[in-house]
Amino acid sequence: MKKILSSIYVLLILLTSFSFAQGFKVKASGEQTFNFADKGGRNQASFFSTTPLEDIRGLSNDVKGTATFNVNDIKTLKGKISVSVASIKTGIDLRDEHLRSENWLDAEKYPEITFTIKRVTDVKQLADNKLELKVVGDFTLKGVTKEITANATLTYLDESEQTKMRAPGDLLGVQATFKVKLSEFGVKNKIVGQKVAEEVEVSVNMVGSNKTN
Amino acid sequence: MNSKQKLTLTIGIILIIAVLGYWYSQGAELFTKTQVLVDKTTELDRMLGVENKQYVDKFVFGLDYAGAISLAIAFISGIFIYLFKNKRKETL
Repeated sequence: MKKILSSIYVLLILLTSFSFAQGFKVKASGEQTFNFADKGGRNQASFFSTTPLEDIRGLSNDVKGTATFNVNDIKTLKGKISVSVASIKTGIDLRDEHLRSENWLDAEKYPEITFTIKRVTDVKQLADNKLELKVVGDFTLKGVTKEITANATLTYLDESEQTKMRAPGDLLGVQATFKVKLSEFGVKNKIVGQKVAEEVEVSVNMVGSNKTN
Repeated sequence: MNSKQKLTLTIGIILIIAVLGYWYSQGAELFTKTQVLVDKTTELDRMLGVENKQYVDKFVFGLDYAGAISLAIAFISGIFIYLFKNKRKETL
């Protein structure tokens, strides 16, 4: 009787772990590493902020990093994404210079903004190849690291003639957004004399491949 | 106001209207821009759930430039109107 009960217990644990493992239902399986190196400069991180006079949208096309996970269990997701501060543009040259200066992001001293993935929560399966989730990680800006949570959508595309036009291998599309409080990272919220909103919305759009060239 | 002053004033007003009209036609931006955001999202991007916007080089005339040029025109017109007034007095 004791053996039967322990067997049922083990079976239940196994069933529970399988039912909670959420991931992509695609051709690939096992651990995959996606590289977000993008020679075409199409991967991007942007920020949106408001001032009393106008809205500011900053954009960087120099985004790189990797993400590793078990295709069948997205909670195994680990990785790091970095953005080059010097590559951020806002549409006005003078403002770009100010953004890179010591008063704002100090590109010379802190050349990169990074996000290191720690864990994944609240996974929702939107389609076989699409997941909505929250990604918790360490966000480093101007030398200050804080834990933040990003809302993300991951889309997995198996290699096809169409995907090969972008990169070889399977592709992973990542769309993520999160908010950053400037004061928490020692950034003064004034740019070219205009007072910028304390909270800045950050958005990331990037595509990675699991086959490196 | 003599005919030369009237002509100067008319030319000044026309130039200011032209500058402000050009500023309005450029999108009535507050600040002059050297780059604009263009949506370059492809069908594959949409399949991957991402969007793609890029800054491309384009000069967009803002109110900062339009205002400065309009003020300069108004100032120069004012000087000419003043000079023409003095010349008229001398001839009298």
